[in-house]
Amino acid sequence: MSAVLSPDRILKELTELWVSMGREGHDESGAGVLRACSMTLVVLTEEADDIQRLGETLAALMPEHPARAIIIRLHPEGGRDLSGRVYAQCWMPFGQRRQICCEQIEITASDAALSDLPAVVLPLAAADLPTVLWCRAPRVLAMSEFRAIASMAGKVVLDSSALPDAKAALKRLSDAAGRGVLLGDLAWTRLTRWREMLSQVFENRERLAQLPAIGRVRVTFSGSYETAAWYVAAWLADTLQSAGVKASVAASAGEGPLRIELEGSGLRVALERQDGRLVVTVNEISQCTSLPPPSEYLVMREELGIVRTDPVFERTLASAARLAYATD
Amino acid sequence: MPDNPFQDPLRFERRVPECVIVIFGANGDLTKRKLMPALYRLAYDRRLAAGFAVVGISRTPLTDDAFREKMLEAVKEFSEDTKLDEDVWRAFAAGLFYVAGDLADDALYQRLAQKMGEIESSRHTGGNALFYLSIQPSQYAAAALGLGKAGLNQGKGWRRLIVEKPFGHNLASARELADRLHEVFQESEIYRIDHYLGKETVQNILAFRFGNGIFEPLWNRRYVNHVQITAAESIGVEGRGAYYQEVGALADMIQNHLLQVMATIAMEPSASFRADAVRDERSKLLRSIKPMSDDQIRCNTVAGQYGPARIGGTDVPGFRQEPGVKADAQTDTYAAVTFFVENWRWAGIPFYVRTGKRLPKRVTEIAIQFNQAPLAIFGDNGGDDHAPNLLIVRIQPDEGISLKFLSKRPGAGMHLRPVSMDFNYGSSFGERSPSAYETLLLDAIIGDATLYTRQDMVEASWVAIEPIQRVWRSTKWEFPNYPAGSWGPAAADEMLARRGHAWRKP
Repeated sequence: MSAVLSPDRILKELTELWVSMGREGHDESGAGVLRACSMTLVVLTEEADDIQRLGETLAALMPEHPARAIIIRLHPEGGRDLSGRVYAQCWMPFGQRRQICCEQIEITASDAALSDLPAVVLPLAAADLPTVLWCRAPRVLAMSEFRAIASMAGKVVLDSSALPDAKAALKRLSDAAGRGVLLGDLAWTRLTRWREMLSQVFENRERLAQLPAIGRVRVTFSGSYETAAWYVAAWLADTLQSAGVKASVAASAGEGPLRIELEGSGLRVALERQDGRLVVTVNEISQCTSLPPPSEYLVMREELGIVRTDPVFERTLASAARLAYATD
Repeated sequence: MPDNPFQDPLRFERRVPECVIVIFGANGDLTKRKLMPALYRLAYDRRLAAGFAVVGISRTPLTDDAFREKMLEAVKEFSEDTKLDEDVWRAFAAGLFYVAGDLADDALYQRLAQKMGEIESSRHTGGNALFYLSIQPSQYAAAALGLGKAGLNQGKGWRRLIVEKPFGHNLASARELADRLHEVFQESEIYRIDHYLGKETVQNILAFRFGNGIFEPLWNRRYVNHVQITAAESIGVEGRGAYYQEVGALADMIQNHLLQVMATIAMEPSASFRADAVRDERSKLLRSIKPMSDDQIRCNTVAGQYGPARIGGTDVPGFRQEPGVKADAQTDTYAAVTFFVENWRWAGIPFYVRTGKRLPKRVTEIAIQFNQAPLAIFGDNGGDDHAPNLLIVRIQPDEGISLKFLSKRPGAGMHLRPVSMDFNYGSSFGERSPSAYETLLLDAIIGDATLYTRQDMVEASWVAIEPIQRVWRSTKWEFPNYPAGSWGPAAADEMLARRGHAWRKP
């Protein structure tokens, strides 16, 4: 038996929700609430996922990226079931009263109902605004229905470090990008501060002049940092292509989760995370800066800020997939 | 030189070159309270280059290590929202150095040159140097000339000079100071710091006006009724009475900070966001301020001085009872001025600017009052039904923007009521706003002078302020004329009432 979920009914419930919030806001403070929306954010997540943590991340994102959030909670078992509810998340810029609220729609779906999702989600997307799909359920990527779901969005964000086979993940992402899907990979986003620090080293003209002398790039990783390692190696190899640099990637149990080394005549640059800090060593000078592991909020915030083509990422993704397979 | 191939402008923050910052007055309050905490925070946030270095200069003999120790204490005490990370500090402190000496002694600059040479080769600062004059204004010229004599105004990289206000105490002294500085540094190398312009909200005025299409069409005499700029302080002179009685509120606040804020609010759109394009427009606006005759000054300005009062169960002294202040001081601790801007956009629109010490609360804000709707079609029910639209830009505290507009009150009948749509920096963006000094120091390192004051702007401000100073100095004031803890002299209210306006109570 299949449960019916009507987009019209959800939209009606949303309207009623705003009316009642406006009334409550008026009772509380004599002022209404403001509805804010800059995009539709569709979150595909497992029912077993920590919904409270996800809620906290979305709450943190909302002030900067107010969105109509459509949270799709998947459960593998069951018939062709879809159910939904609507609620709102509000924040209080001033004092203790609700002022600005974003609407959230939660849909629960079984795997069997995946193919029904696009028809439900599409009418729920906010008009004239971009739609971003955040896929937190890695297994869905391999399902045939995923393409139809992804096609609803202008951008698909996922985390390749959560996928079991890093090389296969890069290949799949690269293929999707080749088909024209606008992608964001949180494994790449987590590298932004690393890449920025490395770039900062070469803001120095003396160091910049030494770039052609770099002959070796070595990236070592442990744990879930394999895709990140391929990304950073590919990015460096692309950037230093004219110097004919070859980048190597190796797993390492002994060192930190990620270590990057560039070596050439008279220049040695190393970046390594030590606890919550990033240590950048340029020959004899070390610089230590605060770099706690970026939270889900921080990386999503960066990705939601780029709802357009990211040429550096696209180039690096293609190179990373090639580099990973060339090493086999 | 090719460009840095690692750049990714879509994701990276601004590019920061390596450099050494030389701070004259390294043992002073500003260094301890503002500069060093700001520099440490920039290092903490990965905003400084690896070889970044600081050379502190002061008379007191200190070793590099003793200077580092002092700066560590300063960072611990004055970093308001930054936890001290020992590893980050250790790496940062390795770039701190100290040179002792007298600013008038040529040997100081020779020692500094030697130290900068050593730093350049050990920390690869690329010959870039930023000199920060955190010293008495009377010593600015001596320090600049000393640097020039030792050849430190030139090098392999860029050289820049930051000076703190006051930039002269009148037009002539401002020009004289500039002439002395220009003997050594070009105008494009001189960064006159105005920490008000480093505040996020002041910068946001530009984003708000020129990043949105909906406000700029209303930003003119046709729709704006008047503008109020308030910078109120609840504190008194806090032990700086002797200094303050020579300066006064008009020169201390309005000549620099508030006229710069007014210029930002009222300037024409610049052709680009390049430093000189923005500063050209600010400068043009300042030059458009209508000069006032002596009679107009008497009508359009109000000086005030606070007297004693009892606030919150405590007796608060009047200005003349403050330590170091003369018993008959004629200093303005409150100043209010009605400016007019003579251009097509603003002709006839009053810009009311006020500042004062010992006012009821600490608040800095700009209020733009729009004209009322041309016809009261909902009838006149008294009360708030006619409240004008107000756009309020709060600079401190609680940086943010509010728009007040009328809305129908629910229920039968057509009764209107003002409602407020608020944007607050602190809660609307999850991340902390950098302090003004972080912003401005980073800008100077990057070479972005947008938020710094140019000499022509300084001169234009003095042209507007100097006649007021002259009239005020020739007036025998009946001070005190407002009690501490009030919103200033009654004459300031009367000044607005003559045009049918009233000061906001922020």
